[in-house]
Amino acid sequence: RRQSATPGMPSRQGPVKHPQTPLEKARENLHVSAVPESLPCRENEFQEIYSFVEGKLFDGTGGCMYISGVPGTGKTATVREVVRLLQECSQGGDLPGFTYLEVNAMRLTEPHQLWVQVWKGLTGNKVTADHASSLLEKRFSTPAPRREPTLLLVDELDLLWTRKQDVMYNLFDWPCRPGSKLIVVAIANTMDLPERIMINRVASRLGLTRMTFQPYTHKQLQEIVLSRLLGINAFDPDAVQLVARKVAAVSGDARRALDICRRATEIAETKTMPPSPMKSPMKSPVKRNALVGMLHVDQALKEMFTSPKITAIRSCSLMEKNVLRAVVSEFLRTGLEEAVFVRVLDQYNSLCRFDGVEPSTMSEVMCIVNRLTSQRLILTEHSRNDLNLRLRLNISTDDVNYALQSS
Amino acid sequence: MEDIIAETHAKRIPCRGRQISFLASILGETFAPFPPSISPFLPCTVPSSNNNYTSYASCDNLGDFTRHVREIAKERGDPRMAIVLERSERLRDCDANILPVLCRLQELTQDVNIVVILCSTLPVDKFRASTGFMEPIAFHFPQYTKDELVRILVTRRVTDYSEEFYTNYVNLVLSVFYHATKSLPELKHLVQLNFKVYCEPIEKGEATDTDIKKLWRNIEPHLKKAMSSVYLREVSSSQFERMQSLVSESTTSGDLPQLQPQMKLTGTTKIELPFYSKFLLISAYLASYNPARTDRRFFMKHHGKQRKTQAMIKAKERSSNQLVGPKPFPLERLMAIFYSIIEDKVSPTANVFSQISTLVTLRLVTQIGGEDQLDAPKYKCAVPLDFIRGIARTVGFDIVRYLYDYA
Repeated sequence: RRQSATPGMPSRQGPVKHPQTPLEKARENLHVSAVPESLPCRENEFQEIYSFVEGKLFDGTGGCMYISGVPGTGKTATVREVVRLLQECSQGGDLPGFTYLEVNAMRLTEPHQLWVQVWKGLTGNKVTADHASSLLEKRFSTPAPRREPTLLLVDELDLLWTRKQDVMYNLFDWPCRPGSKLIVVAIANTMDLPERIMINRVASRLGLTRMTFQPYTHKQLQEIVLSRLLGINAFDPDAVQLVARKVAAVSGDARRALDICRRATEIAETKTMPPSPMKSPMKSPVKRNALVGMLHVDQALKEMFTSPKITAIRSCSLMEKNVLRAVVSEFLRTGLEEAVFVRVLDQYNSLCRFDGVEPSTMSEVMCIVNRLTSQRLILTEHSRNDLNLRLRLNISTDDVNYALQSS
Repeated sequence: MEDIIAETHAKRIPCRGRQISFLASILGETFAPFPPSISPFLPCTVPSSNNNYTSYASCDNLGDFTRHVREIAKERGDPRMAIVLERSERLRDCDANILPVLCRLQELTQDVNIVVILCSTLPVDKFRASTGFMEPIAFHFPQYTKDELVRILVTRRVTDYSEEFYTNYVNLVLSVFYHATKSLPELKHLVQLNFKVYCEPIEKGEATDTDIKKLWRNIEPHLKKAMSSVYLREVSSSQFERMQSLVSESTTSGDLPQLQPQMKLTGTTKIELPFYSKFLLISAYLASYNPARTDRRFFMKHHGKQRKTQAMIKAKERSSNQLVGPKPFPLERLMAIFYSIIEDKVSPTANVFSQISTLVTLRLVTQIGGEDQLDAPKYKCAVPLDFIRGIARTVGFDIVRYLYDYA
């Protein structure tokens, strides 16, 4: 007896099916969590990080490395790959053994919890943040020649910022101590993070070992997608190229490219696209259905890249559209980007009279404005200032006009 | 079933038949018949010691609250519950999530049959937050008409006189008060207060209960008096009753004894102030309501001839200082006016200056812009003209002669 309109997900019945068709196999391989054995197009970065950590391990010293890059450039995956190889090497006896710790600052409730996590990772005991800090301080400032080196990976470094910056200071100060044998690899999204938020004594301890992951070019993205689809005949290579070029033009985010490809496989599965006139009639319809073509990818791209606001305006009711029209014409009249509700109401009523629609009451228009506000098409204050409510559009007036005209 | 509920309650609450049947039609489906002892607008969970109200559990947030509601429902075998919130407009000032959660409490508690009734004097338009809001069913209780008020007041009578006689009396009271107030409690109070006076001639044997004209002539001045005194709460009801008894003792009903000044709460605002304070307050008033450029004319002995031009007269008519309210003035101007209007020599001692701050604490003068307390404080006079006239009279100062608007 749920009378709600709250959307929900149906729960899964039975175990997950194993992929059968090429499209299903492709979808599994294209999933973001299916990280491949070797990361294509990041060989140089891989090599650099590997040699940095390897050198520190051989020397038995500590050091910091700062890695930056926009989301979806493979920072975390590359570092994890390096660590995996290092662990293999140390098990093989080529490298001295080391302890590996990974902390994601996004998962910490509070920056000081970093110390707790690190101490727990080192010893398995749980202590308070202050106590962990003093214990770690003692551990890393007293040299112990037989102790294993520690490799600490800190993801989302920018969230460790505190007013006193003591967390960051300690994090970068400990590797500088003699005999600490601590190697810190810090990952963040912004390149100039040390200059922007760190005070000088923290930034200087971070050192100059910096690395930037550039966004993928379209060739690299194509290579990544194709490397995952190796041996599966599911994609038209041109379709992959279209995805790669589109994503590279917008963000260069590999996850985005994979998502679009996966969505395209779903579209290809559910929809039988009209046969494209470009293709030769020689191909059998079965084979064409099995391949993800340009049209599927194009539809997936449209789904993920078009602005939802224009779609929202197009699917508005007549009265909602009229309110938007009234707001735009009020902007045009005053030349300002802000309108008072009373004036919008006047405009709305005259619009209604022009169209031969019966004008609405203030309460009705208020209700519509509130609906549009909750969809974030309009920005307003709380409705308690009713007639003096100030309205702004959350979308440019040109876009509103475009959406209203084309519908 | 709904009809039964509607009927039983329509008898207890007259003139609300439509509203009751509407509420019954909404709530009747989900509610069993209310127990007859409970008024539908005061449900059984009004927290008081009479109905064994005890705290159920402590809850710190809305998540806990909904969980407890579900628990209660489960413990009591899924009852139908209602939460009635009076003056719910104040919920808007609470946390932003409280009102939206209450509006969809049934949905959030999932299987509990619960209804939240929000009572308020504001329209629902003023409740909507900008993040969206589940629209409640809005229902309006209209103002009682004059006939309805008479009917209700007559049914609530406690007297030995006949219904017709009482109806006449209520009609008389309403003819005086209806254009001033339509509030039922207020009118009920006034009807009860004046009934004794109305019946007096009958008890004395001067008139019969059919002699309406005589009774009206007797009561009319009392009602007019009550309008200006009791209705504005200038004298309390008990004082008014005592006064009425004084009137009845005095044989000549023509001259009503004047209200003692100490009996009134407002109106004759008389505050005993020290001599210099009075002059300080007068000069503050003059500084607030006179333009600074006319100070020369009013407060200097040889200020030269002032020619009245047409423009000046027009400007004076356009904006009377009495209408636009007091204007701020600096301390120096206050002191200059003070020294010019006071006759004897006063040295600017600490005493004089402390009296200014005393006036500020008495809220007769307000200080503007608290950032500069010592250097250049600005003040505004906050007393009406009648008050300052009374003060000026006590020190024999003709204030009207010095006011720009009247001089």
